[in-house]
Amino acid sequence: MIEFLGDLVQWFGENWDGDAGYLHRIWEHITVSAAALGFAVLIALPLAAWLGHRGRGSLAAVSLVNIGRALPSFGIMVLALPFSIRLADAMPFIESGLGFLPTFIALFALALPPIFANTHAGVRAVDPETVEAARGMGLSGWRILTGVELPLASPLIFEGIRVTAVQVVATASLGALVAFGGLGRYIIDGFAARDSVEITAGALLVVALSLATGAVVGRLGRRLVPPALRNNRKPGNIPALVQVSR
Amino acid sequence: MRRQIRSRAVGAILVALALIASACGDDGSGDGTKEGPTITVGSFNFGESVILGEIYAQVLEAEGYPVSRTFNLGNRELVYPALADGTIDLIAEYTGSLLNHMHGTPTPDSQATYDAMVAAIADDGLVALAYAPGEDKNGFVVTAETSAALGLTKVSDLATHNGTLTLGGPAECPIRPLCLLGLQQTYGVEFESFRPLDSAGPITVAALEGGEIDVAVLYTSDGVIAAKGFVLLEDDRNLQPAENIVPVTTDEIIAAYGDDLVALLDAVTAAITTAELSALNKSYGIDATDADTLAHDWLVANGFLSD
Repeated sequence: MIEFLGDLVQWFGENWDGDAGYLHRIWEHITVSAAALGFAVLIALPLAAWLGHRGRGSLAAVSLVNIGRALPSFGIMVLALPFSIRLADAMPFIESGLGFLPTFIALFALALPPIFANTHAGVRAVDPETVEAARGMGLSGWRILTGVELPLASPLIFEGIRVTAVQVVATASLGALVAFGGLGRYIIDGFAARDSVEITAGALLVVALSLATGAVVGRLGRRLVPPALRNNRKPGNIPALVQVSR
Repeated sequence: MRRQIRSRAVGAILVALALIASACGDDGSGDGTKEGPTITVGSFNFGESVILGEIYAQVLEAEGYPVSRTFNLGNRELVYPALADGTIDLIAEYTGSLLNHMHGTPTPDSQATYDAMVAAIADDGLVALAYAPGEDKNGFVVTAETSAALGLTKVSDLATHNGTLTLGGPAECPIRPLCLLGLQQTYGVEFESFRPLDSAGPITVAALEGGEIDVAVLYTSDGVIAAKGFVLLEDDRNLQPAENIVPVTTDEIIAAYGDDLVALLDAVTAAITTAELSALNKSYGIDATDADTLAHDWLVANGFLSD
């Protein structure tokens, strides 16, 4: 055990630089995770906010969450592979259909449902009387959404993004199965070579990066929430998944 | 120690379950015109092994031997003890892998590998019959288009394109002497890059088909090579150790049935070539034909059964 820990420490001392070093692997890991999360937010957040504002799409939100939970990310990755290979063929600016692209598609599919559901639930959870009051003051639909509903829903929205970010970073390890880099490389390659030190080091790095992601995204989110709503533990701020299933 | 006991216990349970399953199924325990112990034919848990088990079982049945089947037992860690203790009596093995399992060092020489393997299993009361010309080992595969465009038919041809091609295979390939290391040392082949994929599975096949990789590591008798029209590069400097198909049985079975049985099985084994294996694997894996139908048709086509 002591010997194993010694090997582990030595591993971290020796494998930090170069293309296969963990600094570069962490960067790859963050790049694909951030891209997937960013695109998911860009698409899911406006759509869910609009549908929530109009009072529509509850069924879609529930279905999306359930389907999203049931779909295995590895399955999506393998299914995405022939598609991404063809896409890379058709578009010369995409360098390869292996690696980044299928990993990105799988993580995007993973991130989309919870962000959509949390945003939708957050907007729907805003007190109807508040919305009614805003309308009474003569605010347009757009102003109600951006000035009243979204700020009130923001704790829930950012909590959804934080939880999703952690999940995406943890899952990005799977990209190693389709020739992507990232920290999963150490787990997959270590397993193939029966190198338990490399596997453990990779797993520790994934855990550390996931936790760090949760902390950073969480802090960022809190800063964007209106001050009056920070640390607010009203029923409207409990996680969306509970609300959706109600 | 504790883990070993547990894994043995699990192994014993699995063997018992497999036996129960096969006893419940219609295993056609032969009408047995020949007197003697029932020959329990086993197989590993992959298609090729099931087909080979079915081939041996059917030809024995046709000659009146009492036969039962215990297929899909598992991997070699499970199958070998079952063979050694007489739970199964006959299985189609692979010379290099079996020698490796017995802690020997297989070589590309079929006969030498076979001889060493025969000596290694004798202590366990096991007998290897003659080995087949057909083998199943690591192969380096390109698409027909790549083969034509770059003039690739042999592994040594790859060296004329050093630094331009991409290899795709299992993650352990770069550190394995029978994979990338061997290509570099034995053939002097250098790739532009290596893409870590799966072990001759669907990801590797999709990557080769889509042109993401130029050369793929697949198994030589993989049905997908024939189905997709891939070209298996000839291992012209014999990097890969021999992996000939070889039926292995027990002393008791040989003592009970003797030369007749040996002559019958040897004749069948001699007809199992790598091309035949590949065609059988293709029918099984891609056309989804049943193993018993495949085995029957193959035995008829090769003159071992009359209809």
